[in-house]
Amino acid sequence: MTESADFTLGQVLEIRQEELLNAWMNSVLLTWRRKYPHTAINEDLLRLQSRQLLDELRKLFSGAIPPEGWEPVPGSKIATLLYDFSVKHAKHGIKHNDTVLYISVIKQLLIRALLQDAPPACRVLNTLIISMDHVLDRLTVTLYDAYLETRERIIAQQSLSLLELSTPVVRLWDRVVMVPLIGVIDTQRARQITERLLEAIAKYEATVAILDVTGVPVLDTSVAGHIMKTIAAAQMLGAQVVMTGINPDGAQTLVKLGVNFAEVTTRATLRAGIAEGLLRVGKRIVPIKE
Amino acid sequence: MHKVLSETWCIPISDEIHAAEARRDVLIMARRLGFGSTAAYHLAIAVTELAINICHHAGSGEICLRTITDQDRIGIEVIARDRGPGIADIELALRDGYSTWGSLGCGLSGVQRLLDELEIDSKAGQETRVRGCKWLTPPLNPAKITISREAL
Repeated sequence: MTESADFTLGQVLEIRQEELLNAWMNSVLLTWRRKYPHTAINEDLLRLQSRQLLDELRKLFSGAIPPEGWEPVPGSKIATLLYDFSVKHAKHGIKHNDTVLYISVIKQLLIRALLQDAPPACRVLNTLIISMDHVLDRLTVTLYDAYLETRERIIAQQSLSLLELSTPVVRLWDRVVMVPLIGVIDTQRARQITERLLEAIAKYEATVAILDVTGVPVLDTSVAGHIMKTIAAAQMLGAQVVMTGINPDGAQTLVKLGVNFAEVTTRATLRAGIAEGLLRVGKRIVPIKE
Repeated sequence: MHKVLSETWCIPISDEIHAAEARRDVLIMARRLGFGSTAAYHLAIAVTELAINICHHAGSGEICLRTITDQDRIGIEVIARDRGPGIADIELALRDGYSTWGSLGCGLSGVQRLLDELEIDSKAGQETRVRGCKWLTPPLNPAKITISREAL
C-alpha cells in the first residue's frame, strides 16, 4: 500500500498539471458546447475550479496512497468543489451524465499519463485497462439514468397532482362562477386555468366569472398577459369577468409596467367582487329579517 | 462610480420556475436592505420580467444580484446575462407593445420604468447583458450594512 516512494500520481500531477488541465478542459468543453449550444458556460470559472480540483488531487496522492475504501470527507475542499460544480451545472440544465463525464475525462487522462512510461510488455494490459475503465464508467452512468428517470417521474407526478389541486372553478350562484388563482402562474397553469374556466362557463351557462388574484404573489406582464387572454376567451363565451384581489403594490406596479386592465371590471376585494357579480345577475345579499 | 457592498448572488435561469426563485431572492434582499413594499415589489417584478425574457429568448442564462453603494445611497443591482440570439434593435425592444413572441410587449419597457437605471448591452449573436439598479431612498449609512451570501 505504501510503496509509492519513487513514482506517484502526485508527481505526475505536479509535473504535467498545465498539460493535463488543458487536455481536460478541451475535451469537456468540446462535448458540452456540442450538446448545449445555448448554455452560457463560464470557462474561466470552470478552469479555475478544475485547477483547484487538480491541486486537491495532487495533495491527496502526494504522500501515501489513499487507503482502500477512501471516501471524501463531507465539507472538505474537494467535496465542496464538486458539490458546487454539480449544483451549478444541474441548474444550468447540464445533464448528470455530462457532469459525470467531467470526472471520467480526467480519470482517463490520468490513467494514460501514468501508463505512458510503462514497459512495452504492459502495453496490451494498458489498453485493456483503459478500455475496461471506459466501459465501466458508461455502465455506471446507465445505472444513474435509470435511477434518475424514476425520480423524475415521481416529481412529474407530484407536479401534476399540484396542478390538479390548484385550480378549482367554484359555482357561486346560478350563472356566477369563481376561480381563485393561487401561487405562481406559468404558461402551463395559465392554459389549464383558461380551459377549466371556459368549461365551467359553458357547463353552468354562466354570465359572470369572478377571477380572484389574492393568492398570486406577484403580477408581472407574463401573468397579466395570461389573465387577459383568459378574460378575452371568457367574454367570447358570453361571460363578463370581474377581477378581484389586486393589492395596492400590484396595482402601482402594473400601471408602471403599462399593463392596461381598463376594459376589465376590477374590485379591490373578493367581497366587493361577489356583490358586483350577483348584482349583474339581478341578485343581492340581504340580512334575514327576524 | 458605485462600489460593491455584497457578494454577487447568481441564479441560473433555464425555466419559468427559476424566475420565481430569482424573484424570491431579490424580495428577501430588498426587505433586508429596508426597501418599502412597493419598491420591493417593483424590483421583484423587474427581476421576474428579465428572467422570463431569458427563458423565452435565450433558453438559459443567469440573473445576478448584489448590493451596491454610491456616495450616500445604497441600492440593489440586477444583472441579467445570456448567450441567446441577442437584441437586434434595442430601441424597438424598449417600445411599448413590441413583442416577438406574442406577449404584451411591455416587459423590457416596464423594467425601464420600474428601476432607476437600466443599461442594455447586446448585439445580435453575442452575449446579452442587461444591468439594472434601484436605489433605496432615503439613503442609509452604507457602513452599517453588510449582506453576506449566507444571509440569503
